[in-house]
Amino acid sequence: MDTIACTAGCELPGTPIDPAEYGPRTVATGPYYRRDWFEWEVEAIFRREWLQVAHVSEVQNPGDFVVREVDCCKVSALIVKGKDAVIRAFHNVCTHRGTLLVSDRPAGNAPVFTCRYHGWSFERDGSLRAAPDFDTFGLAKADCALKPIALDVCGGLIYINLDPQPRQSLAEFLGPAWDLLPYHAAATATGFSEYVYEIEGNWKLVYDNFQETYHLRFIHPRSIGTSTSPAGNFFGYADTFATFGPHRTMLLPVNPEFEPAPTAARGFGKVIQSAMERGTELGPWNRYYFCMFPDNYLLLSQANPFVHSIMPISETRTRGTVRLYWNGEDASASERFAREFAMAATRDIHSEDVSVIEACQKGILSRAIDRVHFQQHELFCHYLYDQARLRVQDWLSQQGMADAADAALEFGR
Amino acid sequence: MSAVSASDSALPRDFASLEPWVAAGWAGQTAHDRSLLRVDRSPEEVAAFHAAVAPLLDPALAYLDLFPVDRLPPAEERLMRLMLTFAHVALAVEMQGPDEVLQRVATRHMRITRAVADRPPA
Repeated sequence: MDTIACTAGCELPGTPIDPAEYGPRTVATGPYYRRDWFEWEVEAIFRREWLQVAHVSEVQNPGDFVVREVDCCKVSALIVKGKDAVIRAFHNVCTHRGTLLVSDRPAGNAPVFTCRYHGWSFERDGSLRAAPDFDTFGLAKADCALKPIALDVCGGLIYINLDPQPRQSLAEFLGPAWDLLPYHAAATATGFSEYVYEIEGNWKLVYDNFQETYHLRFIHPRSIGTSTSPAGNFFGYADTFATFGPHRTMLLPVNPEFEPAPTAARGFGKVIQSAMERGTELGPWNRYYFCMFPDNYLLLSQANPFVHSIMPISETRTRGTVRLYWNGEDASASERFAREFAMAATRDIHSEDVSVIEACQKGILSRAIDRVHFQQHELFCHYLYDQARLRVQDWLSQQGMADAADAALEFGR
Repeated sequence: MSAVSASDSALPRDFASLEPWVAAGWAGQTAHDRSLLRVDRSPEEVAAFHAAVAPLLDPALAYLDLFPVDRLPPAEERLMRLMLTFAHVALAVEMQGPDEVLQRVATRHMRITRAVADRPPA
């Protein structure tokens, strides 16, 4: 595998991409609004790839559980830590007649999970513990366990895969990121701050906003529009682009001349200082931006240690979940203040994007244009489009519908 | 060390000048409450809150750092929440400035559902 030297002396695995060589691209708008395309993406991508849905701090003790909805797949996943300290995922569905098992709360601790319909109860390892009058079914208990969902953990981040037989292990899927994600604050975090939003936008269109810097000057003039663009690099274009598998990474520039506002200097300064005191200094990995396929991106940064999950709800609706991970409990009032500030500041930046993403979706839905253009530094937008396209076409071929995607990908439709 | 007062607005003695802000609801209970104060109150009130608190931020945090952060007495706990509200207000005043008019709409889209400061003590 090729490696590229990062500016601080470490090596970033992946295949480097020269934006000038990659060049500008133009693609059809169909995949950003068509319902048929979205339904194919659900089958080809969201039911088959690893999705980042939870964190180990949410299930610290035996019996701790969270319920996570994968809306586009209509799946409710129950993630629970067993007596044996193993974290497992199951379909949150009673095996008697299909009732949602845990429906009264999204998280908690339970010694056993009991279906409210007919009282079937399940152990934390998914096995059927008991069912009233079970002899009348003529079934074996062993055949009535909760349906498992593949689960694995990397760097404290919990992933699930809805494919009953995933094509790749999580390590294979993440590739070099398997060794890099443990540098993220999530790997050692004992807790996190979180904000969520729903937005009228196709998931790729939402994601695209967060994988190019071309818009920063216009949409974030006061927050990050200038702090990330050093002299001679007005648009804050990344210094380095690379891909590995369907994933992308880039090294974000900084403007050394930028002077933060007083409270920002205090807040971010304290967050960074605390991280260093706690031994979570990231060193050369700081400011590496990982765009993970299909559903999340993250920054290896001490100041904004976030993971931003982008999960589709429908072809034009998406839910975003942003979590900032913290190593250790708040040690002092100053640290508590700094973490609240870092969350609020990160939320400010992300919230600046909402209205323009929705405006973009509206324009595409109008069908005034049949194509969108990406300049060479927007290459990750095209790369994501292409990775999704390849998976949809591959899946359609397997279904004997190889030509079905053509209409969505052609200009003039 | 805590202020002895029956008032729900009482703050430690050195910070008593900020008590009217507590009485006016600026010591938001949760991070989401605190984030809404910045956009729900008038721009003039937000600016006045910032002007009143900014000079006391460093002394307040230095004072609060003397206590275990998860076991703050009531007056100190109110002071903590007032300073946490300031984290949100500082973004409005120091960073967004004239563009805060846009953020008054935009930040509402993003609901804070969890914050380390809001967790009950272990």
